Amino acid sequence: MAVGFRRLVVAASLLAFSPFVRASLGQQPEGPVKVQQITGLAGVKNKTSGKLAVEDGKLRFTHGQTKVDLAASSVEDVVTGADSQRVIHGALGSLSLLAAPYGSGRFLSLFRTKLDSVTIKYRDADGGLHGAIFTMPVGQAEMIKKQLLAQGAHTSVAPEQAASASPGTSPAKKEQKP
Amino acid sequence: MNAITRGGVAIALVLTAVLVTPRWSAQEKQKPAKMKASAIKVEMIHSDEIKLPAEFQVALYEDLIQQLQKKGGFEHVYRQGDRNAAKAADLVVLHSTVSGFKEGSERLRQVTTVAGATSITIHCVFKDKEGKSLLESDIKGNVRFFGANLRATYDFAKKAAQIAHDNFSPTAGA
Repeated sequence: MAVGFRRLVVAASLLAFSPFVRASLGQQPEGPVKVQQITGLAGVKNKTSGKLAVEDGKLRFTHGQTKVDLAASSVEDVVTGADSQRVIHGALGSLSLLAAPYGSGRFLSLFRTKLDSVTIKYRDADGGLHGAIFTMPVGQAEMIKKQLLAQGAHTSVAPEQAASASPGTSPAKKEQKP
Repeated sequence: MNAITRGGVAIALVLTAVLVTPRWSAQEKQKPAKMKASAIKVEMIHSDEIKLPAEFQVALYEDLIQQLQKKGGFEHVYRQGDRNAAKAADLVVLHSTVSGFKEGSERLRQVTTVAGATSITIHCVFKDKEGKSLLESDIKGNVRFFGANLRATYDFAKKAAQIAHDNFSPTAGA
């Protein structure tokens, strides 16, 4: 009787809290993704936040009134990666690192959010090679990559290869000399 | 007393002049003559023997172009594959190959201060249009204390642009 009641309580709590559970990473929305453009996108300043979407054969970065379109077919390489940043980042993060008492700023550095990154190489109208790096929440990078590949972009790392590589392990962690 | 002080100051000034002037002239003599180049074409960074993450390769290339545009002193900075570079007179082509790379940890740097540095060493070769080597240099980019790992690419780019500025000029030999 007691076991049955416990099961009932557990089931009821699971049901009650289910709306607060985040959607699984496999069920990401198809719409624009919030990203930070680290460097390389023509006409956009480094470290600009905006939204990235793949639609109508184009990769579109939007920041306020600024819109930058890249033809997916001009993208020669798309590679995804993993990164992280301090929970409190930017100027406030640097300030807390220096000014927080008793080294608590350093302690706060231990708390980090994981990020995905997408690195692309593309050609401009004159044939000049460009590179651009975007960071975004975890789970979004592969989706962007798949959408780009579906619209005519190329990659040097097939999605199957990327999936087989263990996440978070960079191939170049230790110093390598020829 | 005043005369002694004045005498001392005069001797000190003379000694300073005697000691410093030859050093200045030696430094001026050591500065290499600048080579004439009005445009530079930057090739994508190669890392044949060392596995470099894609974001580092792209950040190195983009930072290098940005720094050369800011501080290189060239009239034009072209990217790899740019068709307009073929028309440029006095074109220098920059080839860069990664020769050493150690990816550190931003978290470790912030927590310990002394550990977790990222360093990258790149062999840069400046060539003329015909492929003749004009200048070679090993340039190191580091991030030791503050900033993300990619800041090492900015450090490298600043140093490379300075070397280009010190050795090439659109007006050299004119």
